Amino acid sequence: MAGVTPAAHSMASAKANPVLVFLMVSSVMAWLVLSSVSVAPNRIVPGSSVGVFGVAGWPGVVLGLLPVIIAGVLALKSSRRQLVVVALLVVLTLAALPLWLALAAHNLVSPELPGARLGIGAGIWVVLFLLLLSVIEVRTRLGLSRWQGGLLLLIPMMSFSAVLIATPWLDSLALRREFVTRSDAFYTAIGEHLLLVSASVGCGLVIGVTLALIMRHWPRLRGPGFALLNFLQTIPSLALFGLLIAPLAWLAANHPWLASLGISGIGWAPALLALIGYSLLPLVRNTFVALDDVDPGVIDAARGMGMTSGQVFRQVRLPLALPVLLEGIRITTVQAIGLAAVAALIGAGGLGRFIFQGLGQAAMDLVLLGALPILIMALLADALLGALGEWLQPGGAA
Amino acid sequence: MSRLRGLTVPLVWLGLLLAACVGMDQLEPVFRWLEPSSRSVIYARADFLSLLGKHVLVVSVAGALSIIIGVGASIAVTRQWGRDFLPLVAQVAAIGQTFPPVAVLALAVPVLGFGTLPVIVALLLYGLLPIVRNTLAGLQGVSADVREAARGMGMRPHQRLWRVEMPLAASVIVAGIRTSVTISIATAAIGATMGASNLGDPIISGIVNGNTAHVLQGALLIALLALCVDSLFAWLQSGRSGL
Amino acid sequence: MIELKNLSRQFGEMWAVRDLNLTINKGEFCVLVGTSGCGKSTTLRMINRLIEHSAGEIHIDGQPVRGFREDLLRRRIGYVIQHVGLFPHWTVARNIGLVPRLLGWEPERIAARVDELMALLGMSAERFSGKYPRQLSGGQAQRVGVARALAADPEILLMDEPFGALDPLTRDGLQEELLSLHHRLNKTIVFVTHDMDEALRLADRLVVMHEGQIRQQGRPIELLREPVDEFVESLLGGNSRGLKEAALTPVAQRLCHAEMTSGVPDIDANKTLRDALSLMLWHRVDCLNVVEGSESLGTLRLADVVTARAPMGTTRGLSS
Repeated sequence: MAGVTPAAHSMASAKANPVLVFLMVSSVMAWLVLSSVSVAPNRIVPGSSVGVFGVAGWPGVVLGLLPVIIAGVLALKSSRRQLVVVALLVVLTLAALPLWLALAAHNLVSPELPGARLGIGAGIWVVLFLLLLSVIEVRTRLGLSRWQGGLLLLIPMMSFSAVLIATPWLDSLALRREFVTRSDAFYTAIGEHLLLVSASVGCGLVIGVTLALIMRHWPRLRGPGFALLNFLQTIPSLALFGLLIAPLAWLAANHPWLASLGISGIGWAPALLALIGYSLLPLVRNTFVALDDVDPGVIDAARGMGMTSGQVFRQVRLPLALPVLLEGIRITTVQAIGLAAVAALIGAGGLGRFIFQGLGQAAMDLVLLGALPILIMALLADALLGALGEWLQPGGAA
Repeated sequence: MSRLRGLTVPLVWLGLLLAACVGMDQLEPVFRWLEPSSRSVIYARADFLSLLGKHVLVVSVAGALSIIIGVGASIAVTRQWGRDFLPLVAQVAAIGQTFPPVAVLALAVPVLGFGTLPVIVALLLYGLLPIVRNTLAGLQGVSADVREAARGMGMRPHQRLWRVEMPLAASVIVAGIRTSVTISIATAAIGATMGASNLGDPIISGIVNGNTAHVLQGALLIALLALCVDSLFAWLQSGRSGL
Repeated sequence: MIELKNLSRQFGEMWAVRDLNLTINKGEFCVLVGTSGCGKSTTLRMINRLIEHSAGEIHIDGQPVRGFREDLLRRRIGYVIQHVGLFPHWTVARNIGLVPRLLGWEPERIAARVDELMALLGMSAERFSGKYPRQLSGGQAQRVGVARALAADPEILLMDEPFGALDPLTRDGLQEELLSLHHRLNKTIVFVTHDMDEALRLADRLVVMHEGQIRQQGRPIELLREPVDEFVESLLGGNSRGLKEAALTPVAQRLCHAEMTSGVPDIDANKTLRDALSLMLWHRVDCLNVVEGSESLGTLRLADVVTARAPMGTTRGLSS
């Protein structure tokens, strides 16, 4: 029994890492088979797909694949040193992707057509996805921390930003064209989105913690309270937005002072209310658990040492509860970032507007202009709040 | 008997849902009062029952595929031969849940075009995450002693899986499916903006045309559908929680 | 008969078991004992192939274990572990009937066998068969664990620290019952423990392991009397070995005075010399009346306990 774990370790270092091999082989296949980019003369005409061989000839394709193939071969015998090399190769490939796009733009987009645009094809998306999975896999196998993993991704991100900002090579990228034509609206939308999310999480936090404290004080309210919050959470977002339109419109019509505050059936008011509603369950539940789940022995000891109940709360309960509460805030924030996108449908603005406008105009790049920042925002919020939680955890990250 | 009595709540919601679908016309005076200026106060572009049917169809097709793929993948990566993929799958399931469902839905359209297909694919992909996460948690939560005993008694791998591990993980897996389906019902409604006709239609067209009555009708039906399905899962889980 | 020949198991760089030779005869109660990490559990689990051996051979009744399909082999060998590992979603009856069901017995035969086993382990079938494991106490659960291991009437029973997590009183009772089961059923039992008192009490053959190898094996009394080195001596209790030996010897064996002494406490003839010593110390007397039931057998003196030495091979057999 005693020897099982060392066995697993020593065997892992000797044999192949089938996950990385699989990811690399899939990357090569996706790269060769799927369309690499699409080229369109203007915004209206759908683009025509171009494969890798259309972007660059045989030598270029093989050269581009070289790091991935080497990484796949190295993964066949995955000692720690080889994994580090695999990580570097993957990061290198990721960092080279914008250059590949620049090459495609140079070769395929005619400079005579000012509206011509380059779309990113399925092949590149899939390879990007598979390579990010490889980064996750390597990170796990090397036992790197969240920060070290983030640093790995910083290099490709810097390469992408550098090519995008410092050079004109990617001016014809469709996503960039969409952005340039509405950069003001884009920044406004990001501002609206962040405002809606932070306002709802902020209000939710105040109300949620209060509710949790009330429910702790009056245990009889617990059952019905959680039942109500669960009920609220079950109602689909679009339905809740819809259900709020009528009463808010009625209120605004009958109380002019409310209308003067900007409250109406459509717009930010129903969105904010709904988002606060959705934020309550995770916040109340986590606050409740955080305050209730403190080891009774610890509380006993604190009392035994002669701490007053106020001191116990401030010095013992609260610090121990904070990470759990933060976890609730993290869940709520990530959820709100997604839900705020839906709120664009009822006129609350934000990045969701680009998604639904894009869908309405069948302009896929506009959809991406909305969806990608939302995705990045959610991932960033998750990472930052997660890291903050780990930092607050007594004794540091687990 | 008491097990069946638990079905009352889902059945009540189902009854309300069907009654609302069929008898929405009867509520015309109420909606007329809400929306006195509009010409049509009851959404008439499609039959509510057929919208409900399409909604349920999309969610069940995507849900069934998510369950098969998600549970299958989780079983695979917890077996000896698939264990290499476990860390990656677990990480992806955790990170993937950060993705907003709307973003996943929106990203499916550029790849698959408009219509029902991208909605099903998006629901399927997004629905996998909670199922994989919970199935993994459930299977890994089976105590080492029980596994050891099952092996020691001479149970074959498939017997260990289907007679011991899966029954013990069932309640956690059902909880994951519940989350997955709840999200799917909500996200499918947003799919109405990308050409998948379902209960989201009245809401979207109501918002576009400024017809609050239509919005309300769609919202009411989706909410009832969600509550009905959710209470059904609550019943399923209560039957399992005795373990 | 179980034969382990030049048996080794390597985990990475580490040898859990190295070049081990051991023969366990049919019907023998063999206890493997040693400090944690000495390879005793690994040895046990190699017998039913829960762990595969890296080198050497294991034969059961002359046939190599590798010749059987793993699961079929395990169904022929009863197995009991420390944390019992009852299946929490099955009733007690279903847990006990597992291996017969895997072997495809008729339902009636399984039901009859389950009842029989519950009776054998002193559990009322009526009260317990419908219960779930979480409704049982630790001792009851381990009884069910033993019943489950015995269900298909295996020739061999492997027990991996089965009583390690129980309170002393329950453990005592179950040890007693296990001995009596062993006498009645004549199974070959391989038992792993790190509790030396338990090992001494149960073993026909005691095997002391250290660092993956056997340091010494033999009857408990042999090891107590003649430990091969300091490690075995200290493991067996060092200076307290005298009391441990006393605990192995029944009072009846040292009884050499048939006359009765009045005014001294009684002791049952089936008790051990250790009990007798304790009783003398407690009552501050130097002799005891030995009784069997209501019948008086004679007097035991302190000198009989201390000086007379039992001929080897006549100890044990307290509980038949």
